Amino acid sequence: MIAKIVCYALQGLEGVPVEVETDVAKGMPAYDMVGLPDASVKESKDRVRSAIKNSGLLFPMGKITINFAPADIRKEGSAFDLAVAVSLLKAGEQLTGADTQGIVFLGELALDGTVRPIAGLLPILISAKACGYTRFVVPAANAREAAYLGGADIYPVTSLKETVRFLTGEEHIPPVAPERFIPRLHAKETADLKFVKGQPVARRALEIAVAGGHNLLLVGPPGTGKTMLARCIPSVMPDLTFGEALEITKIHSVAGTLGEEGIISERPFRTPHHTATTVAMCGGGNRAVHPGEISLAHGGVLFLDELPEYKRSTLEALRQPLEDGTITVSRAGGTLTFPARFMLCASMNPCPCGNYGSADKVCTCSPSEIRRYRKKISGPLLDRIDLQVEVDSVPYDALASGEEQESSAAVRERVNMARAIQNVRFEETGIRTNAEMGERELAVCCRLSAEGERILREAFERMNLSARARARILKVSRTIADLAACEEILPAHVYEAVSYRLGDMLE
Amino acid sequence: MNAAELDYLWLAACAPLSEKERHAVLRACGRALPPAELEKICAAVIQSAADGVYKGDGAPRAREAEAYLARLEKAGCFAVTLASADYPAALRAIPDPPLVLFCKGRRELLAARKFCIVGARSIPPWAAKTGTAIAAELAGRFAVVTGIAEGGDAAVIAGALPAGSLISVLPCGPDRDYPAAHAALKRQIAQQGLIISEYPLGMLSQKFTFHERNRVLAGLSEGVLVLAAGQKSGTLITADRALAYGRDVFALPHNAGAPQGAGCNELIKQGAYLCTDAGDVLAMFGMERAERSAPSLTEQEQKMLAVLRGAGEGHAAALAKAAGVPVWEAQATLSSLELKGLAARAGGNMYTALK
Repeated sequence: MIAKIVCYALQGLEGVPVEVETDVAKGMPAYDMVGLPDASVKESKDRVRSAIKNSGLLFPMGKITINFAPADIRKEGSAFDLAVAVSLLKAGEQLTGADTQGIVFLGELALDGTVRPIAGLLPILISAKACGYTRFVVPAANAREAAYLGGADIYPVTSLKETVRFLTGEEHIPPVAPERFIPRLHAKETADLKFVKGQPVARRALEIAVAGGHNLLLVGPPGTGKTMLARCIPSVMPDLTFGEALEITKIHSVAGTLGEEGIISERPFRTPHHTATTVAMCGGGNRAVHPGEISLAHGGVLFLDELPEYKRSTLEALRQPLEDGTITVSRAGGTLTFPARFMLCASMNPCPCGNYGSADKVCTCSPSEIRRYRKKISGPLLDRIDLQVEVDSVPYDALASGEEQESSAAVRERVNMARAIQNVRFEETGIRTNAEMGERELAVCCRLSAEGERILREAFERMNLSARARARILKVSRTIADLAACEEILPAHVYEAVSYRLGDMLE
Repeated sequence: MNAAELDYLWLAACAPLSEKERHAVLRACGRALPPAELEKICAAVIQSAADGVYKGDGAPRAREAEAYLARLEKAGCFAVTLASADYPAALRAIPDPPLVLFCKGRRELLAARKFCIVGARSIPPWAAKTGTAIAAELAGRFAVVTGIAEGGDAAVIAGALPAGSLISVLPCGPDRDYPAAHAALKRQIAQQGLIISEYPLGMLSQKFTFHERNRVLAGLSEGVLVLAAGQKSGTLITADRALAYGRDVFALPHNAGAPQGAGCNELIKQGAYLCTDAGDVLAMFGMERAERSAPSLTEQEQKMLAVLRGAGEGHAAALAKAAGVPVWEAQATLSSLELKGLAARAGGNMYTALK
């Protein structure tokens, strides 16, 4: 008898339906798998055999052939175990009367028949639902992740035996109750701006950066709280919408970094170490392509501490995703596109010893050393970082003590306001924030008064600014004006934007 | 070029002397003697040096010198020798003037009045800004003489180059790029100003060439202003030479305890003129300062400037508090003051008042 059971394979962030066909024929006992299963899938043979035996069921005798259709895509991972087991049982005529039509089976089996959780469940469910499947049997440990799907019957199972009893109608399993998405419900980051003492200038820059979707570079001596500030960025960013949360959760689900919460309710904050390779950063892998750090930071913040220490090639690889918000990775296993719309926050010392420009400490670096250090960051990359600020190097107790520091929530309110203005401005243009403006939008949205033009020209002459810097200043001025709920860009806004142009002096 | 000039050129660039011998000859050429006498001696030294090699035959010497001249011209350079009419008189008067100046750029600058401004490579931002402003103002009256290194020299170049009255003295041959990062800047100076070196084509900078270059800086100029100098800065050698040659020495005052300015303060202690703006220099030479139109300031800017001047130096947040405005408004105002040349960043969001 032939049995057909539906399962799903993962290709990047998309699920692809796979039919597990099992035929048990008379003949010499054999157990073969065809249809391009890779090593991890082939191993399911032994897991499934033991799981069936240890669940008190019969492993069919005879010549068994299992086919994964379509046969031309490579299958990998352990999510097929449950489907293979059900398919075997059905072909062995132990599930007579059970209705397996239209049910998608997902799960890994333990030798004792327990169903273990799998990575990438949510993207599979989303794809399968789009294909018209509405009934799923999933590992109970993944149930929370599945609960956010909605509009489908999802049955969590803990063991193979339970699955069989459910299919034959001996046991009733209530479908997972759909959960409502609440932003920041599972907030892990405890960073809050109210714990950051002092740093008024960097705080302000951070607020502008988040409000306009600008990238941010923090420059300062070691140990001045650059990392602390960066960690606060997600707490200032607008709440995730359900759509965004699903998109982010998909990526983290595929990467296997999803926690027990089942959904990402807070914007991610990724801090890859500076030894990270280009593949770790952008995504890749031997056969299966996995999302990289920039995709895991999608919708959130990618924080690169000690920017000049990163490999040049790794940094240069960030340029295209910074522009497009996606990354296309080509590997032997195929070509995949992952979303990668993140806010880049980087930190660096002003020079190798860290004291350049300090008021009270002497820099021991020679000019050529400093130049070499800064040259590690290319102009085109620096070009994509609109705001470049210094963090305070002096102990700031005198000013900060006794003063209540503003909390992230208060800053977020202003950010949301500025974002609302931008949403109206960029309606139907495909642009979301000021930072994404192109030349055309700059001309329309960032018209300066005669006074503003004069200031910009003066800044140009005085500071030898590049044409790139001009666009950068204009965009930041726009955001500052938005924060002030000001229709027009005032001279003060331009001046303030000019004050965040540190990088032009570094260039 | 006349025969004497060619002889000088030959001696400085072509004579088959070891570096040590060349030095001995060059030093022997210049003692504090009247110019006419000096030249006679020089010619004799040349002759004897030449005789030793060519056994009295003067012809190859002239050919060699002319060939070298052709090489110089090909490199876009020209040579000014002790025998040339436009050899700077002030430099001729020092005890050990260079025999030949290998130059590139505007020759007429050699005849201008010259004033030297130098600063160490490690220079506080406010001092660099002040140096740029002073150089820009003096460039109208003097040819500003400086080196070509980063930091202080670069600040002076930024001030004087737009007016075109800038002389950069190199510690290496005129065709060498030192420092490498300033290659483009050097080309620009050669176009708009003047490059001078006492070293022949191809000579690389060495430790001693910096010392010797510094004597040329001082020798060329009527006065020397030191923007920044550490306790053991090479810039102090320039000041030292200037004193030895009887030039006026000026220095920018620095905070007590700031190591980047310790040398300047030491100079002032020893009697150098304290200088805070171009007016101090001009007054010493009996020149009137040109009326400068005061930059128009808004009420906010005036208030912030008053606060900043009162504090001298302060953190943006501290200044904002004193002026009673939010930090970001203070940032904007300070940044406009910076553009107007009245304030400078001092690192770590600190600002300094400029005069």
